[in-house]
Amino acid sequence: MKTNERVISYLFIIPALLLVLVLLIIPMFQNIYYSFFEWDGLKKPVFIGLKNYRSILTDENFIVSLRNTLIWVAFTIVFPVMGGLLVAIFIKGIAFEKFFKSVFFIPITISFVATGIMWQYMFSREMGVLNNLLLLMGVDRKISWLTGVPLNTFALLIGWTWQQLGMNMVLFLMGLVTIPKEQIEASMIDGANKWQSFIHVTFPMLRPITTIVITMAMVNSFKAFDIIYVMTRGGPYRSSETLAVTMFRETFIIFRMGYGAAISVVLSIIVIAVSFFYIKRMARKDLLYY
Amino acid sequence: MRVSVNKIVLYVIVGVLALLWLLPVWTTFFVAFKTPEEFISQKFYQFSRKISIIENLRNTFKIYKLHKHFLNSVIYAASGAGIAIIAASMAGFSIIRLRPRFNFLLFFLIYSGTLFPFQMYLIPVYKFFYTIGLYDTKVGMVLIYAALCIPFSLFVYRGFYTTIPKEIEDAAKIDGCGPIKLYLYIFLPQSIAPTAVVALFQMTWIWNDLLFGMVLTRSAVARPVMIALASMSGPSGGTIMPYTMSGVIFTSIPTILLFILLRKYFISGMVLSVSGE
Repeated sequence: MKTNERVISYLFIIPALLLVLVLLIIPMFQNIYYSFFEWDGLKKPVFIGLKNYRSILTDENFIVSLRNTLIWVAFTIVFPVMGGLLVAIFIKGIAFEKFFKSVFFIPITISFVATGIMWQYMFSREMGVLNNLLLLMGVDRKISWLTGVPLNTFALLIGWTWQQLGMNMVLFLMGLVTIPKEQIEASMIDGANKWQSFIHVTFPMLRPITTIVITMAMVNSFKAFDIIYVMTRGGPYRSSETLAVTMFRETFIIFRMGYGAAISVVLSIIVIAVSFFYIKRMARKDLLYY
Repeated sequence: MRVSVNKIVLYVIVGVLALLWLLPVWTTFFVAFKTPEEFISQKFYQFSRKISIIENLRNTFKIYKLHKHFLNSVIYAASGAGIAIIAASMAGFSIIRLRPRFNFLLFFLIYSGTLFPFQMYLIPVYKFFYTIGLYDTKVGMVLIYAALCIPFSLFVYRGFYTTIPKEIEDAAKIDGCGPIKLYLYIFLPQSIAPTAVVALFQMTWIWNDLLFGMVLTRSAVARPVMIALASMSGPSGGTIMPYTMSGVIFTSIPTILLFILLRKYFISGMVLSVSGE
């Protein structure tokens, strides 16, 4: 390569590299560094070693938050993911497929904040749609969807399912297209009913996409923030917080910056661990190309 | 006979689910059209006598300055994604076609920006912006959004540029095209598909962002739209629902339009982010 061309090749990368380096990569290391300090954002930070990480283990708020986060992940795999798979299978090939697909797709096009507000209204105690629907059905009892513990976490998860299911449905529909019809028909001829052919033919062939969908869904639920912040602010009394919300509260409301940094490091380790195989697979594909 | 019973059950299940999915949408619309008084006096399924959504929206402009925040976010979505598109397509072109030394390392370094949860960046960026005077400024927001968009954008462009045949490049070189001309006249004009994917996904992401806007801004000068929208509701109540819902609809229009305009790129974008090809 000519020198001129080599210089240009670097010049072309520099804008992207500089932005990412200064605003993402360096901050990431700084964040790890801050997690070893006690710091309120104003006074000089004091080095305290691993104390932030040790206090995480005994912090009751953190334990509640971690428990909620795990509930979020488990619920996400069952409802938005498995639900998305079932809906994909149900609507594939039926009349009005396009219409149904659009219905489940609507939530993807609007923000989490808008979703949160809509569901806050659905769940609102006095004026909310759900309590008034119950009233119409003769249940004269006002349910505190968003203030009752642990009901509030599940109410949040219903809003979350509404928003997430469509994305998973789209991905599973993509996967279903790749399965040859003949294979399912062959299994039916061999005497399998619909359920058996699903378990023995369709589901195994969907395995690659299922792995990816579950990984992405887990990562997304570990990082869930907006919808919780809008609907409950993590409350009442921090009962519906997840790790992302706890990190935000500790850092920018209580101003325990070092502690917040430590929580974000823990969250990152979990997220990287969950997506490790996914990243490795992508990296291997890339290396093959090079 | 049995088959048709199964079919009926299937349609009932799908139909009920679809109704459940539509319930929040139409009740939201109903609220947005009501006056605050009608919202209190009417049932949720009753349609308002007078259509007052415009009036409601006008009130969100007056009370919450929603239009200003809306405009801020238009600027952020356009220039944040715009900068990312330029920077990432240039970097992708260089990594694939000019192949500088350490090109894979450079790619992975930039791409690694997308692996970590955003919480990793909040505190240092907040502190950094505060120190150099970018806190609560439009410039600061554009820069951070651009930086956050670059990793995925680079991934998309890099993948796409591997599919452009080498012969085209060789022919251009014989004609005396240098790398800059090659990028400007050969690669860039062919980049419609990846640019559409990046624009759809990254502009939507910037528009919907709540976290960075909340941490890095404080005043109406720089706050993005979602923070204003979030402030229009809260667990403690005290907000006027018809105003809030008119805001929900108003702020959802840009992303819905974007999806309608670029819908054919949605699937290719999903395939890309899923399969890594």
